[in-house]
Amino acid sequence: MALEKRVNYLQIALNSTPKEAREIIQYVPQSERILIEAGTPLIKNYGIGVVSQIKDWYFEKFYPKYYQEKSKKSPLAKSPFFNIVDLILSETKKEILKSQTMKNLASSLLKEKSIQSKSTEIKEPYIVADLKCADLAEREVFMAKNAGASSATCLGNASIATIDKFIDSCQEMGIDSMIDMMNAENPILVLKQLKKLPNVIILHRGVDETEKNKEKQIPYYQIKQIKGFSNKILVSVAGGDKMEEIRHAVFNDVDIVILWENFYHPSPEISNLANFFLNEIK
Amino acid sequence: MLSSRLKYLQVALNRPLSESLFMIQSLPRDRRILIEVGTPLLKRSGAKSIRLFRDIIGEEGYIVADTKCMDRGAREVNISATAGASAATCLALAPIETIEEFIEKCRAYNIDSMLDMLNVEFPFEILQKLRQKPDIIVLHRGVDERYQKEIPQIPYHQITRIKGTYNVFISIAGGEDFKDVKRAIFNGADIAIVWEKFFQNPQQMQILATKFLKQIR
Repeated sequence: MALEKRVNYLQIALNSTPKEAREIIQYVPQSERILIEAGTPLIKNYGIGVVSQIKDWYFEKFYPKYYQEKSKKSPLAKSPFFNIVDLILSETKKEILKSQTMKNLASSLLKEKSIQSKSTEIKEPYIVADLKCADLAEREVFMAKNAGASSATCLGNASIATIDKFIDSCQEMGIDSMIDMMNAENPILVLKQLKKLPNVIILHRGVDETEKNKEKQIPYYQIKQIKGFSNKILVSVAGGDKMEEIRHAVFNDVDIVILWENFYHPSPEISNLANFFLNEIK
Repeated sequence: MLSSRLKYLQVALNRPLSESLFMIQSLPRDRRILIEVGTPLLKRSGAKSIRLFRDIIGEEGYIVADTKCMDRGAREVNISATAGASAATCLALAPIETIEEFIEKCRAYNIDSMLDMLNVEFPFEILQKLRQKPDIIVLHRGVDERYQKEIPQIPYHQITRIKGTYNVFISIAGGEDFKDVKRAIFNGADIAIVWEKFFQNPQQMQILATKFLKQIR
């Protein structure tokens, strides 16, 4: 797992448009404790390619030289023949996909990535692809990995077969598995049925239910239950958008605090909250 | 939009966008053939896949955006409807507030609401809680579930029970060939969804669709 126990993380969810996502990234400080999420509506609207776009915008901000080299790398991109070249390349890729198993491909991707990061010493951002997988787990994990995500999400109330397949595929492809317990009444009951445990459990109330039903609270009491069940699992909670709420979540033993309200639109408040988190919460 | 006197075949497309666009062109143009932008395709290529499908099949065609909405009902309906979908799907596993928001927004945008009962043991428990019922209920077993030791059955028995209580269309997914399509329709389903066969052998799509149009009325 790329994330560490005993470290608190702040996850910034990007949900509106790629343009706003790019602007929001300008306000995000660089830290290994900051995770960036490609939200479900963003992926469904613009496709999984937004994950690699987010990565590019991150490099654009923190490693401008590397970003320029990366963008210049393919002079063909500007040529009118690019489409043909692209087509040939995609056909070659298809052939590779046919001839290799997914496992082999994933390991070769990993190898390629490690060579790349050693030679450039670039710290890649941690990106969560919030796919909310409900079926066809292997394909969705492959999609996330291929786009450059560090982790992907699966629904806790999907079938056990899907969650098992999801966790397995995440392990094979070297990304973290996150299980989203939205509307799942008893997360422990789900965990007990799984062959392998996920890396992260996400506890939260959906946006619609939070807006329409003020009585529904973030289920903090479940954190102790989950950590009692296994001390290897990290717990992530969508914990509101104010400094007190972040503090409250961390005080309740949350490992990853997800912020989305304020991050829906770009604003300097993002830097303030993120810096508060980095300075005040260790 | 759909007629209760007709039976429909819904073709789910999940291959990469360029291949799916090519495949649509080989399908017969008929109001009884519905085209689905599958969840993996939607997540891979985004709402532009719906827009491109619409460009190819024209205004008359029926496009299902298999969004499998779990939260932010209004947002997902907006994404699907503005891209040109005729219907969108919401998971019955989602919070009731999300399902209600989803159905309400589908009405506002004048598209059909499909409630997907994936991994829901008792559909009635969900349906009873809803103020407004969806237009279509999708019954099926998941693809991943088919690789378990004990493969769950397609819940044909629920079709007549639901139709006896609510005025909704029933869509059945999880079949693999023409025999399964026929079985779904004979058991009272209005829509039979197919994809597995096409995923392995895209050429058979045209044959099956033509057979459906000829043999099932």
